[in-house]
Amino acid sequence: MSRSLSLDRLRPCLEGIVPSGIATCGVDGMPNITYVSQLMYVDPEHVALSFQFFNKTRENILANPVATVLMMDPDTAARYRLTIRYLRTETEGPLFERMKAKLAGIASHEGMSDVFRLLGADVYRVQGIEAVPGRELPPVAGGPALLPALRRSVDALAECQSMEALIDSFCTCLTRHFDLQYQMLLMADEAAGRLYIVASRGYAQSGAGAEIPFGVGVIGVAARERVPIRIMYPATEYAYSRMLRDQAAAGGLAERLETTIPLPGLPAPASQLAVPIMAGRRLVAVAYVESQRECHFGYDLEDALVALGATLGLSMAACLCVEAAEGAAAEPEEAAVAAVPAGDAVRVRHYARDGSVFLGDDYLIKGVAGAILWRLLNDHQRTGRSLFSNRELRLDPALGLPEVADNLEARLILLQRRLRDRCDWLGIEKTGRGRFRLDLTRPVTLHAEETG
Amino acid sequence: MTSPEPLDPALAEFITSHVSLQLAATDDSGLATAVRCVGCRVSADLRRVTLLMPRSQAAPVLASIAANGRVAAVFNEPKSYRTLQLKGRDGRIEPPLPDDAAALQPYAAGFARRLAPLDVPEPYVRTLVSCAPDDLVAVSFTPLEAYAQTPGPRAGRRLGPGETGE
Repeated sequence: MSRSLSLDRLRPCLEGIVPSGIATCGVDGMPNITYVSQLMYVDPEHVALSFQFFNKTRENILANPVATVLMMDPDTAARYRLTIRYLRTETEGPLFERMKAKLAGIASHEGMSDVFRLLGADVYRVQGIEAVPGRELPPVAGGPALLPALRRSVDALAECQSMEALIDSFCTCLTRHFDLQYQMLLMADEAAGRLYIVASRGYAQSGAGAEIPFGVGVIGVAARERVPIRIMYPATEYAYSRMLRDQAAAGGLAERLETTIPLPGLPAPASQLAVPIMAGRRLVAVAYVESQRECHFGYDLEDALVALGATLGLSMAACLCVEAAEGAAAEPEEAAVAAVPAGDAVRVRHYARDGSVFLGDDYLIKGVAGAILWRLLNDHQRTGRSLFSNRELRLDPALGLPEVADNLEARLILLQRRLRDRCDWLGIEKTGRGRFRLDLTRPVTLHAEETG
Repeated sequence: MTSPEPLDPALAEFITSHVSLQLAATDDSGLATAVRCVGCRVSADLRRVTLLMPRSQAAPVLASIAANGRVAAVFNEPKSYRTLQLKGRDGRIEPPLPDDAAALQPYAAGFARRLAPLDVPEPYVRTLVSCAPDDLVAVSFTPLEAYAQTPGPRAGRRLGPGETGE
């Protein structure tokens, strides 16, 4: 293979923007040629081609595995011939899911969602790359330079001392350094198989607390498969509203899933990218960005966000470890008794079945965050305390926090943001590592309800 | 070789209507290769199809055709996805006709018009199919087989006489 021509530099040709030709040779020696838009970069030595139907290309490849791809750069019109050799077909797993999502974008872009059904990802080794001579347009430099943006973002994360600072700094970096206007950061709850939004940018509502199950949509598939999922065109079948509705209808999911808090998001994103945030092999979160412009997120941006995500994931994990260790020693500084606020009392209801909490008639949140708030309000009511520690919450079996990796800090951040979104008289504020304060400016009456 | 049917007039019209063109050939070791073409014409008796391409881009394709004459050409209308493949065994490399160079600009303009609804900029299309007149070479063949390749489960179906794959 030519040293100067690396597949890494030719990835735009493999986005499916300009269809490639694939030429194969039959057992009778006759050539066959067809257009494909579903050729995908796997790594510097491999590409994958979608297998949707048993066609002549596939028949030929199974008999004679060497083929030639003629591909075009979507910006410069430069042409390349790849000599490729068929290796295997993958019918599940990360590569299959990446291709399925990408294909869904291409298929709905081409109005062929019902026609394109992925049966497998055919993996080929690239044996040679030839630049085909001819005229080219000058390369287009679009968007921010990614390596400096990555460097600045890594530097910014290194300054962060808390989970909350990491979350906010990450989102700010995506906006400021990567020019990504629409974004969400979702923490993973592995035990429950779902993600919840802790931060978002670019939307009218933050959506803090809204949930997405593993496996649903771009974000859920990225979480389940631990692989970035990137779609270059509007893909209706990956739209969350529709999938959540279908899933909820299919099987009782709505009861367990936080569906009352609406997901933020563009109604019909033209480009989507979800990147799993890992701490080593453990899924910590998923970062999601979207755009109204087609083909807006390329392979290089995906790489940059994966690299930034690795820093974020490890920093979050370290933060949680430190917080858990220090929190173990941290007791509330004082049993401060707050003055009882004046004004009309707000009726707060809690449903034990799903942990949901209502402030007056307004739904607030359910699940662990709901249980935490209920416990804090009850303590406050009973003892007048307003200072609490993470540790005491961790030790409370009623909250149902998992033994390992409880992510309590992230849940408190979510609760804090949800309260900020929904009311101006009740909130929680951090007062130090592993400590926080409950702020109430109106009296409450607490009602434990048995049924929902 | 059996005497092939002339090309259906509707197919002849389709393949000369400034659609996307690629030509494939196979060498004697079984390796297929391909080149993008920049023009197409059909003989008056509808028995011979000729594709035009830049010689500088077609080296492996021309070498294979010189060796065994086996060719496959694919014709694609980008907006409708209508796709047709023609195959022949008597591919022949020929010098271009005097009119062929003059047909380059109309082909580029027509192809650009077809891609305009897909937001492909005209300079891109003109670059993709640009060819210096002195670089032009022709490959002609007698189509023996025609296949409908419009994406879907029926892609790859061989067309019978009178069928146009629409």
